[in-house]
Amino acid sequence: MPTSVLIVDDHPSFRLSARRMLEADGYTVVGEAEDGAAALEAVRELDPDLVLLDIQLPDLDGFEVAARLGAAGERTAIVLTSTRERSDFGEEIAVSPARGFVTKGELSGEAIAALIG
Amino acid sequence: MTSLRRALIALAIAAFAIGVASAALVLTSDHQSSRGLVVALILLAGWGFSGTGLFAWYQRPASSIGPLMTAIGFTWFLQGLQASEDSVIFALGILGSALPYAILIQLLVTFPTGRIETAFQRALIVLAYVDTTILQLAWMVFTDPTKEDGCRGCPESPILISSNSTLSGIFETIQVLIAIPAVAATIVYVFLHWKRSDRRDRRVLSPVLLTGAIAFGFLFVQLVLDQSGLPETAVTVAFIAGVMAFSGLPFAFLVGLLRLRIGRDEEIRTALTAENRQLTAELEAKVAELRASRTRIVEAGYEERRRVERDLHDGAQQRLVALTMSLRLVRGKLASDPDGAAELLDEAMEELGQATAELRELARGIHPAVLSDRGLGAALSGLADRSPIPVEILETPSQRLPESVESATYFVIAEALTNVARYADADAATIRVSRVDGTVEVEVRDDGVGGADPTAGTGLRGLEDRVAALEGRLAVDSPRGEGTTVLARIPCG
Repeated sequence: MPTSVLIVDDHPSFRLSARRMLEADGYTVVGEAEDGAAALEAVRELDPDLVLLDIQLPDLDGFEVAARLGAAGERTAIVLTSTRERSDFGEEIAVSPARGFVTKGELSGEAIAALIG
Repeated sequence: MTSLRRALIALAIAAFAIGVASAALVLTSDHQSSRGLVVALILLAGWGFSGTGLFAWYQRPASSIGPLMTAIGFTWFLQGLQASEDSVIFALGILGSALPYAILIQLLVTFPTGRIETAFQRALIVLAYVDTTILQLAWMVFTDPTKEDGCRGCPESPILISSNSTLSGIFETIQVLIAIPAVAATIVYVFLHWKRSDRRDRRVLSPVLLTGAIAFGFLFVQLVLDQSGLPETAVTVAFIAGVMAFSGLPFAFLVGLLRLRIGRDEEIRTALTAENRQLTAELEAKVAELRASRTRIVEAGYEERRRVERDLHDGAQQRLVALTMSLRLVRGKLASDPDGAAELLDEAMEELGQATAELRELARGIHPAVLSDRGLGAALSGLADRSPIPVEILETPSQRLPESVESATYFVIAEALTNVARYADADAATIRVSRVDGTVEVEVRDDGVGGADPTAGTGLRGLEDRVAALEGRLAVDSPRGEGTTVLARIPCG
């Protein structure tokens, strides 16, 4: 069964590109959210297999959203992303409940698949 | 060595020489009695006055105290000429014998300033000089000195016209009648001056006035005794005592002058300290202002860089990322779906165009290239074109300005136009940049609602700092309902 994905990012152009890329690689995009609050709501409603979560959001940052999802016991896998690089976030990625991080420049279906197994 | 110093040294040598000559005359005189005593008195007072007078003259070249004291010294030596056998020299000695006292009167009534300031001073001084020169001459015309007691061996007076004891007596009486009140008036005037002075001035006046009073006191006594017909000895004693006191005068003057200088030094020191304190306070205030301004500028710099980072991140960077993903997709579709790939490429080119435009705008915000390449006129035209409301450029300088000035001018106008677009609700705006002497005047005027407060937003504050850093001034005139004028003046070398 194709993996269902929720795309969370405040830039519409990125959401569009990500949707195209994921769909081309066989994923099903079930929803989009443009901020942290909408993301939490959407996860509860849609129960996606995967959340592609931008770290820089206008309200909560991605780490906070991931932490809340983890605390709520949601089963959904989280992949963090950003235009910035891994080294810009130090330890935070390691301690986060997310499965991993991919910088937007290297985002692809394969990269995501490698993280969620 | 200054010419004054040269002159004073010459005078000092002259004083020494004249003193010696005068003493020699007395010592070798046939008709002078008590030669030793007379020499002592002549040299004591003569060198005392000329020496201290020259010193005072050197210390205070602008004051007449020094010259007056020196003159007393030199004229005192004339006394010695009376010992000469030569009739002309002898006559000169008698003619000038009272002159020192007239000069002393001038010195006492004008001490310590040396300036004749009141009519009374002037009258008294003129009287003293007339009495000791003109009237003295008149007396000598009718007086045969050889007929005087103690002057049997004196040479004949060359200016004697006719020995007339009546006229001689009359002139002598006139002289005395003037001299006694003049001396008394001097003593009283000097005492009143001392009384009117504050404690500080009294310290300066006291030595002089005391010594002068004593000297004149004895002179007074001598004059009276002389007329009263009392024995010679009494008169002589009074005379000697007077001369001794008189000889102490130069040193009393010196003490007074030194006290004056010390007082003046203290005054100067106090004034300098007060001025110093004020200047320091002003300096501290200025330094604090500069520090605050510098902090604002530095923070504005950080703020600017954060803004640039944000703009880059949210704008161009996102677009480039999206482009990367699109191109990856295109590659995937090249074989399987060429039409789809072509469509994606069209979209990608559009994204790229927008990214480029955003970057261009960002770069302009940092430093507009057109400003460096083509100057203020071209850069301002660009601003005017991009402005949402009509902007008319009234004047721009014909020549290029220094880079920092052009840059500040550009940003003042850019920020002002941004404010116009955002807040002014205006129909139109004008820009004027003119160069007047060494100053660039920048004016942005709009016909909007006015009421702008430069202390409110940081935009104008940042401009103020930028302009102040170039030693310029920014002013905003914005009466409510009457539009806004932003005026900057930047010095331009």
